[in-house]
Amino acid sequence: MSNPARLVTMNNAYDDLLRRTLSSIQSDLARLIYLASTRDYNSGVYHHEGLSARYGPESTRVALRAAHKDIFYKLIGLSLEELVNELEIYVRISREAPTGFIHTWQELEPYRVAVPMEVDSTMVQLFLSNIRLALEVLRFRQEHRQADPSASSLQPLLGR
Amino acid sequence: MMSTAIFVAVAIFLVLFLLLIMRHEEVDEQESVQADASTRHECRDALQHQELVFRIFSREDREFILLMRSPRLQRIYQEERRKVALHWVRRTSREVSRIMRTHRLIARQSRNLDAGAEARLFFQYLQLRFICGLLVLLSKTFGPHALPDLASYAGELSQLIGRAVPDAAAANHVASSGIPGTP
Repeated sequence: MSNPARLVTMNNAYDDLLRRTLSSIQSDLARLIYLASTRDYNSGVYHHEGLSARYGPESTRVALRAAHKDIFYKLIGLSLEELVNELEIYVRISREAPTGFIHTWQELEPYRVAVPMEVDSTMVQLFLSNIRLALEVLRFRQEHRQADPSASSLQPLLGR
Repeated sequence: MMSTAIFVAVAIFLVLFLLLIMRHEEVDEQESVQADASTRHECRDALQHQELVFRIFSREDREFILLMRSPRLQRIYQEERRKVALHWVRRTSREVSRIMRTHRLIARQSRNLDAGAEARLFFQYLQLRFICGLLVLLSKTFGPHALPDLASYAGELSQLIGRAVPDAAAANHVASSGIPGTP
């Protein structure tokens, strides 16, 4: 395949990924986690059966990698408050109890594997730091709500 | 004469102190240099450098945390931001040192060096190293928000002084007029 033709295929794969798959996911943090899950832990290579069947494995890998980085940069650009909102939506989507979710994420730090490869190291530090802070904010709100149930109607943990 | 000597001594001490800190930082960073080798082929299309700095030192984030009125959250926030700020300063310093090393290697083989331009470049490099050292010192001592805080503190002080001076003048005027009951 010639270079321009390959570029067109990659762009089509990228658009397809955004239109069909990522648009159905509710938050950018959930999109990031989803895209990271398409990457092999050992090789770092992205896989997506549906896209590969339509556009070939190479274009699919490039599209997934580009989308992963784009979403990551978008999350880095968010304020802490916006990231807390993203995390709240993600907790709601997960259908886990907020307390258990926060505890697990603080203990295991699964969000570390959501970081794309070959990105600015300071951005990675900032992202990890912001997620840790967002978890602390959620934990604080959760404790506050448990201590004062009447406050839950004023400042609920989820679905503000 | 004496005050000039003191001023020069303080300046020399400060420069030496910052150089010592920078040296210490470099030793600390030796182990992480390999792990951080990815910075050499970082994405250039990433978030703009200034935007990244804006996010690290964001007042908006700080105010958001302050609104929670939790000393624990504020402490964690300070610590997290301090770590990221120090990482950014060290990386910037290291990146510039690497560029300068490459430049020196190229300059040694160059036949038509512009001495003035080289001197300017070296001065800018020293300036940057000095600022990086200062940022490390301020971030470690006062936290990453030290610079904006110091600026706003200076503004507050100048307002206080501005308000204090007319008051003092009025008080002196009243005192000198000999009105009873005035201090």
